[in-house]
Amino acid sequence: MPSLLSTPPYGPRNDAAFLAEMNRVTLHHRRGCPEFARIWPGDADATRVEDLPFLHVGLFKQLDLRTRAEGIRHTRVLTSSATSTGTSSRVALDEESNRLQSESARALLSAALPVRDCPLLILDHSRSLLQRGQLGARTAAALSLRPLASELHFLLDSPDDPASVKWAAVEAAAAAANGRLLVYGFTWILWRAWQSIPPAAARALANCTIGFVHSGGWKKLEALRVDRATFDARLLAHAAPGSGVTDFYGLVEQPGMIYPMDADGLRPVPAWADVIVRDPVTLEPLADRPGQLQLLNPLSLGSPCHSVLTEDLGRLVPGPGVKRFELIGRIPKAEVRGCANV
Amino acid sequence: MSDLAPPDRMMRIISDWGVVRAAMIRRKPDAFAREEWGYLLSFLDPAALLQPWRDHFASQPQPPRPREPVAVWTPNNVSLLGPLVLVLLSLPGGRVRVKSPLAADDLTGAFLDFARAHAPAGPLAEWLANGVEAARFDRTDARNAQWAAEAEVRIVFGSDEACAAIDALPHPADSVQFSFGDHRSVAWIEDGAVTEEVVDTLIKVFAVYGQAGCTSPSVAVLLGGSRDSALALRERMIARWSHLIRSQTPWHTASAHTLADQWARANGWDAAVAPGRGAVLAVGEPGLPAFSGPAALPITWAGFDEAVRLLPENLQTIGHALRDPADPRWAELRAAARPLRWVPLAEMHHFSHVWDGQSWWAGCFLGAAAFLPPTS
Repeated sequence: MPSLLSTPPYGPRNDAAFLAEMNRVTLHHRRGCPEFARIWPGDADATRVEDLPFLHVGLFKQLDLRTRAEGIRHTRVLTSSATSTGTSSRVALDEESNRLQSESARALLSAALPVRDCPLLILDHSRSLLQRGQLGARTAAALSLRPLASELHFLLDSPDDPASVKWAAVEAAAAAANGRLLVYGFTWILWRAWQSIPPAAARALANCTIGFVHSGGWKKLEALRVDRATFDARLLAHAAPGSGVTDFYGLVEQPGMIYPMDADGLRPVPAWADVIVRDPVTLEPLADRPGQLQLLNPLSLGSPCHSVLTEDLGRLVPGPGVKRFELIGRIPKAEVRGCANV
Repeated sequence: MSDLAPPDRMMRIISDWGVVRAAMIRRKPDAFAREEWGYLLSFLDPAALLQPWRDHFASQPQPPRPREPVAVWTPNNVSLLGPLVLVLLSLPGGRVRVKSPLAADDLTGAFLDFARAHAPAGPLAEWLANGVEAARFDRTDARNAQWAAEAEVRIVFGSDEACAAIDALPHPADSVQFSFGDHRSVAWIEDGAVTEEVVDTLIKVFAVYGQAGCTSPSVAVLLGGSRDSALALRERMIARWSHLIRSQTPWHTASAHTLADQWARANGWDAAVAPGRGAVLAVGEPGLPAFSGPAALPITWAGFDEAVRLLPENLQTIGHALRDPADPRWAELRAAARPLRWVPLAEMHHFSHVWDGQSWWAGCFLGAAAFLPPTS
């Protein structure tokens, strides 16, 4: 694995090395996670990436899936944000995987962001860091930016209230920032928070080249009929030239993996990851038609989340160079029919 | 003494439904699944529509008076209960209010539109036009309280909480409520009774609503069976599935079944996915950790005592497949199990004027006779 991580993230792929690493990690999880072994019995290596076992992302809401092996020390649990089901995913983090995942996040973010080694403003409350043994997805996403930051500032007085931004702190951080800032927030929180900026803070921000990073769905913004161009324009209205807005896609069930959107609206796949698109009914891999996204990477050792079938729709976009996919959205839900109250 | 005949008006309404039924054979509104429309068609059989009167009032000395208005709250997902209740409430002919959910497709409204368009001039058309108020609103709407305050009869299909909430609203002291809350049903299949017909019936009964129907089997129990016989049943279901179930599985449901399959396996079940990813059929001994999915069916085996012990507390229906239903041991087993409904497997979804042991239709008439159980 270290050899894969040392390659340029969007350089030439070594598919044979990737498959070998994924087979090694799969065997590790088969031997150390009883549930994984029951779902995918047998020890044979896959000869193609498409044949590697995977777990449905929903399992991480239902079961505490941990891989136990020599050298694996679980440190805490990563939890997802509140979902429509009200149940959070839980992913057990271990020391070694955390190291690999941090290295991955750093490499991917360095390649994607216009600024680094500068203050990071996080639209969250510092209380989010204090939950013992547990880390929320939002906080984890923000902290994945930590390697690129010189200091951290938590901007919200109340974790879920975009109107509780401590603008005085923003102004102070921007003024002391030497012209560069990173700002991270959930998409809809960033939109709401940047709706009304006090003049002094706006002036301070306008003097900074800012790398805005956001993640999380567009559902609330779609309901408000806010498109990407409008979203970016609001953020960049008070930022110096050279600033940029990066939308990154990631899952709490795939820590350390970030898929920033490129200029074509597509998501490049790093050299130490892979993406498969499957027909949800047949599970057959699809070359370029929309289907269910499966994300793979060999970074996770303490939890069998190295190969995850998501509930997101996407499409591989064939072409030269780096493998890329389009993220379309969530699989539309069918209406439930029956007398039971659901 | 001769039987008390149904009122003329009721007989004309039944006849008018026959005209609507003829139109239903020619066209199905898009809102309805094929199986749902087919069930409505059979529900409108004239002999079936006469049965409630025969069961409750044929031996009464005088006709009862319909209570009105009757207010009906239907479940918050797509449900055929609204149209079925509407048909049965057309027979007493009193004023009716039916609430449908905001979010889901409204089968009650779709059926009402169709019936209004095709009913011949006469008492049914008159009742549909002026006697039925259909509306879509949620739990916070003021009409919940208004309808409860004015109704002589409240009929509520929903969660236990929803039933309790409606019952808690101010209502006339002499009004009644029939609540149909959270219930689960099971299929009991005698180990030696697994014929091809039983396999097909189990597939059809389960596939139509999966785990979303209170009348659907939430589990299939082989009475006196074993792991081998449970596996054999599952394999026969898999083999027959695509012959009976032709509908395409929506992507979200297929994904949920991939999850259910893996979840079941993780919990120790022997799980398999039906063709088209239309269901998950998982075999396991009683007591294994649960799993769930839209059409995920656990198949297990048990002796008689254990089968009773495994029953859910909120049991509604036991759908049975037995070699000899008249065998006295089944009566003993039924008495021990105490289901609200004990019906052949094929009749698990058959809605009726007596439901969950409650004579709700008769309760829409005033008089002591209204609460007598059916005479048949």
